[in-house]
Amino acid sequence: MTPPLATAALGAAASGPAASTASGAHDVLLDVIAVSNVLVLGYFLAINTAYLMLVVIAAGDFVRHLRRTPFAGYDDASASPFTLPVSLIVPAYNEEAGIVDAVQALLLLRHPSFEVVVIDDGSTDATLDRLHEAFDLVEVPHVVSTEVPVRGAVESVHLPRGGPVSLIVARKRNGGKADALNVGVNLARYPLLCMVDADSILDSQALLAISKPFSDDPLRVVAAGGVIGIANGCTVVAGRVVRVGMPHRLLAKIQTVEYMRAFLLGRTGWSRIGGLLVIAGAFGMFRRDAVVAVGGLDPDCLGEDAELVVRLHHHLRGTGRDYRIVFVGEPISWSEAPETLRVLGRQRRRWHRGLTEVLLKHREMIGNPRYGRVGLVALPFYVLFELCAPVVELAGLVLVPLGLLIGAVDLEFLWRFLLAAYGYAMVVSLLSLLAEEYAFHRYSRWRDVSSAVLGAAAENLGYRQFTAWWRVRGIWDAVHGAPKVWGVMTHRGFAAEPTEEDRR
Amino acid sequence: MTGRGIVDGGLQVLAGSAVVLLVLLVCVRAVRRERERRRERAAEPLRVLLLELLCAEGDEEPGSLQALSALDDRSWAAVEPTARTILAKVSGQARDALAGLFEQRGVATRAMADLRRRGSVRKGRAAEVLGLLRHRAATPQLRVLLLDADPEVRTVAARALGHIGDPAGVPDLLNCLHGPHPVPPGVVLQALTAFGTAGHDQVATGLDDAEPLVRAVAVEALGAAGGVVWTTRVAAALKADPHVEVRIRAARALGALGTPAGLEPLLDAVRRGRPEPLRAVAARALGRLGASRAAPRLGELLDDPVHRVASTAARALLQVGPAGRDELRRAADGARGGRAAAHARAALAEAAIGEEGARSTAGRAAVGP
Repeated sequence: MTPPLATAALGAAASGPAASTASGAHDVLLDVIAVSNVLVLGYFLAINTAYLMLVVIAAGDFVRHLRRTPFAGYDDASASPFTLPVSLIVPAYNEEAGIVDAVQALLLLRHPSFEVVVIDDGSTDATLDRLHEAFDLVEVPHVVSTEVPVRGAVESVHLPRGGPVSLIVARKRNGGKADALNVGVNLARYPLLCMVDADSILDSQALLAISKPFSDDPLRVVAAGGVIGIANGCTVVAGRVVRVGMPHRLLAKIQTVEYMRAFLLGRTGWSRIGGLLVIAGAFGMFRRDAVVAVGGLDPDCLGEDAELVVRLHHHLRGTGRDYRIVFVGEPISWSEAPETLRVLGRQRRRWHRGLTEVLLKHREMIGNPRYGRVGLVALPFYVLFELCAPVVELAGLVLVPLGLLIGAVDLEFLWRFLLAAYGYAMVVSLLSLLAEEYAFHRYSRWRDVSSAVLGAAAENLGYRQFTAWWRVRGIWDAVHGAPKVWGVMTHRGFAAEPTEEDRR
Repeated sequence: MTGRGIVDGGLQVLAGSAVVLLVLLVCVRAVRRERERRRERAAEPLRVLLLELLCAEGDEEPGSLQALSALDDRSWAAVEPTARTILAKVSGQARDALAGLFEQRGVATRAMADLRRRGSVRKGRAAEVLGLLRHRAATPQLRVLLLDADPEVRTVAARALGHIGDPAGVPDLLNCLHGPHPVPPGVVLQALTAFGTAGHDQVATGLDDAEPLVRAVAVEALGAAGGVVWTTRVAAALKADPHVEVRIRAARALGALGTPAGLEPLLDAVRRGRPEPLRAVAARALGRLGASRAAPRLGELLDDPVHRVASTAARALLQVGPAGRDELRRAADGARGGRAAAHARAALAEAAIGEEGARSTAGRAAVGP
């Protein structure tokens, strides 16, 4: 996190020529700006230091994980009849282009017992037809459980002719992603639910890895989050990422570094200290009984994935249960990142609106010792450094020109300060890249490293300021209850042709 | 110090950190790639020897075994990860040949020594290898590791004991389910079922344990491992155990055992008023038993207000032969009310498309080349 383009110096501004000649009102304004500067400086130091701490904690966790991988027992788990079975829930809305490949890839995941439940959320394209053709589906009479309330009624249920393919497809009236997931929860037969986006690509070992915490600590683990990686620039063959590469476009490069720092390392750090609040809807696993106990996902919240996790914390802490919500650093689910500012803007606006809604909905948990580290550490962090960050950043964007205009900003100090701020943010990103390289080294080419460093540097120049604007608009939407719009994510598709190197 | 001084100092620290991190990034990558390249170069010709060893037939001792046994440490280090991966995936003669190679290389001896040394990672890796090698002499030390402070070491020790298959480890495996942080029950269960009939008597001692988790795992292990002589005890656990999880697993075990003695306790377990998860598991177990006498009771369950119980009963009826199908058809025609009819129709339709697919597959096979 960089400072909100922080304004003037602490003492430097006051000793400038403008201060000595100012009127009373002018002096007051200078004082206000000077105080703002101190606050801004403290804020930027605190936010980057907090991220640095999370990254360091996560790096330690990676080292531990790496050393223990040889005896993690995946081979045994993949063959054991006692490995907990999983229902993979895939909500789909207008996914005709990729739904068949996605389901085929999911059906080939490495796990001894799982089913794939696809919920067609009233698609207006040929999503259901494509599935019908590919899997020889037959409509069957259905009785859907009502354990979790749903809004859009199930219109039909389809099974593949012949039975052995563990696939169930349900068509429902459109009700949004959360509602589709709730139908999936009702249809799921197994004790573990894995929620996966239809446009996500899972590593073949992903299901085994994300279900491992539930086997290792079955009495306490209620949810596990998986890593989301950016698929732009990767080579995808038969629904699997066979070669990981950095994206070609700068915007996606920046997001790759951002995902690495915030999602991979940030969430690993939060998991380690028992304060994980966000599990991405694109790849997360939950105990079915826990999801049913809290009434499923909230269809009124745009950040339904995070809201579910916070609600689980709320419920389980409230009832005094010993539980864990964890994050699994490897392997991962790959998603396509926006490559245009327009789509990125919609995404970030939606995400921040979701965050705002979640924090407003569960505001009594914030700072409440009854909710332990979640209430005392994680939620205040999210309020201070996630929710408020774009506001402070934009405030800086206003104060800098103002300060320069009235002579309250010492230009000499300003450029040093900005350099230090960006430098700190860049150091945090570089540390994330180093941790990734040491533990997972997914990016095989040297040019991937240079791309990542470029992304880390470029993130501070415009990207943060744009995202701050979109995020502030997200807060505004949440506060004013603007109509909920998911927007359309334009998929460019993946590089499907393997190179000679991939074939080898 | 002025604000400018602080920022200048900070700038210098940050610039230095950034340079150090960049250098580290490049060095870590370069060293790893070079190491991988060397290992790959060294391992490539040796993989042929490994394949020869795996493909050797009969009692002949292939020259590859001598060649691989005589490799210098660096070459062995290059080929060992591949050999270890293969060892976890093969069986029969190929596994024996590989295990023999590991023994000759002294891998088991070193791992035995590592079990006694400090460091969780060292102990965990050693236990993993000894389990893969089914090194029976490691049993006493692995039993000790079941009490290790590190939960992952305890888990790998339990898995290794299961691979080795020495029933002497059964009491310790049951014992490691005690306490606030037991070894994952699924791992213990898998290990206990690996002992076969030789371990049944010892596993059955867990049925009398004071800890519900031990009783639950013991009862399920007996069911999964085919301990039919213990059916009466399992049935008694289903009827009378004070802990519902034990009863659920006992119901599952009776279904797996498949003996007629399980019928009455299971019919009793599906009655209304019993815990819902138990009723659902018991209904499924009745299906696995396949006794036509269960059909009427399962038919009654089709109208159960608990969705999971009703849908499980419908699927179970498909497994109990003609009596079950008749029951489903009657229910589908409305004999047991609307809810039962819906469940029955769903189950019959599911079965029909499964059979239709099987018929068409058989038809294709009949006319195929």
